[in-house]
Amino acid sequence: MTARSAREEFLAGFREVAPMLVGTMPFGLVVGVAGSASGLTALQAMALSVLSFSGIAQLIVCQLLAVGSPPLVTILAGSVVSLRFVMYSAAVSPHIAHLDRRMRALIAFLMVDQSFAMTTRRFAEPGERASREWHTLGACATFYVSWQLSVAIGIAVGAQVPASWSLDFAVVLTFISLLVPVIRKRADLAAALVATAVALAAAGLPYRLALVVASIAGIGAGVAFDAWRKR
Amino acid sequence: MSTWLAILGVALATFLLRASFILFADPGKFPRAFRHALLFVPPAVLAAIVAPGLAMPHGTLDLSPGNARLVAGILTIAVASRLRHPLVAIAVGMPALWLLQWLMG
Repeated sequence: MTARSAREEFLAGFREVAPMLVGTMPFGLVVGVAGSASGLTALQAMALSVLSFSGIAQLIVCQLLAVGSPPLVTILAGSVVSLRFVMYSAAVSPHIAHLDRRMRALIAFLMVDQSFAMTTRRFAEPGERASREWHTLGACATFYVSWQLSVAIGIAVGAQVPASWSLDFAVVLTFISLLVPVIRKRADLAAALVATAVALAAAGLPYRLALVVASIAGIGAGVAFDAWRKR
Repeated sequence: MSTWLAILGVALATFLLRASFILFADPGKFPRAFRHALLFVPPAVLAAIVAPGLAMPHGTLDLSPGNARLVAGILTIAVASRLRHPLVAIAVGMPALWLLQWLMG
């Protein structure tokens, strides 16, 4: 494939992302509804969304603030559920190491589950790499703008969604759709099963610390499973 | 005030985690064991989030067939692991839950 201009790359990123918005925008809507239901002001819920740009982190923060958890515990839980970004960061960094610091900071700020895979894929394609960061930026900007829009709508309509619709279940379902494809090996399954068991057993811990404990236990189980298989 | 502190803290934490390797680290210098452990972050964290949403819908453990969210969730996992489309979970799970809730009155 020949080199494309920055503009062409940006538009290609946008086009690649557009169909995925069918899945992410309802999620944003649910996160917005959760924000207004948790007792955050509209300004706080929107600031959280604009600054952290992560549906899972936003949901966890809303849940924790709703039960009166202290800032430090909330920040810890928000960090634990965001640990996967470290993995994405590691995967993307070799591809964009040649860019200047400001551009790398922008790409880091905008990186989400859906755009990271696309970025690594586009950079791995053969041919001239000169403008490929614009493909990432096109994808990320599309996600960012559509996400903020859907969260804002969710915050605005939040109180009017009837409880009988069980819209909160849509959030669990979006996590299922992220979880299923990451279970590729038996070690992944071990990590998921141990995390499940610990999350339920430790549910009595205050401030939803069970999430933190269960995540760490699950990671440990995956590592232990691989170590045991290699013996 | 403490709400704003939590919001700004989480915003900073999510940025630093995203920027970790991109801005600050040389990926080659991290210990192999650490990078290996990172592989299990998605299955562990996502399962820890999903489990209480299915098995503890009202704050207490409910593994009975009368728990509509658990039944609908297991059905969704079964279907989603065969049809790997991002919209399958919502398309199967929500109608399943509504149907079960309606049947159970």
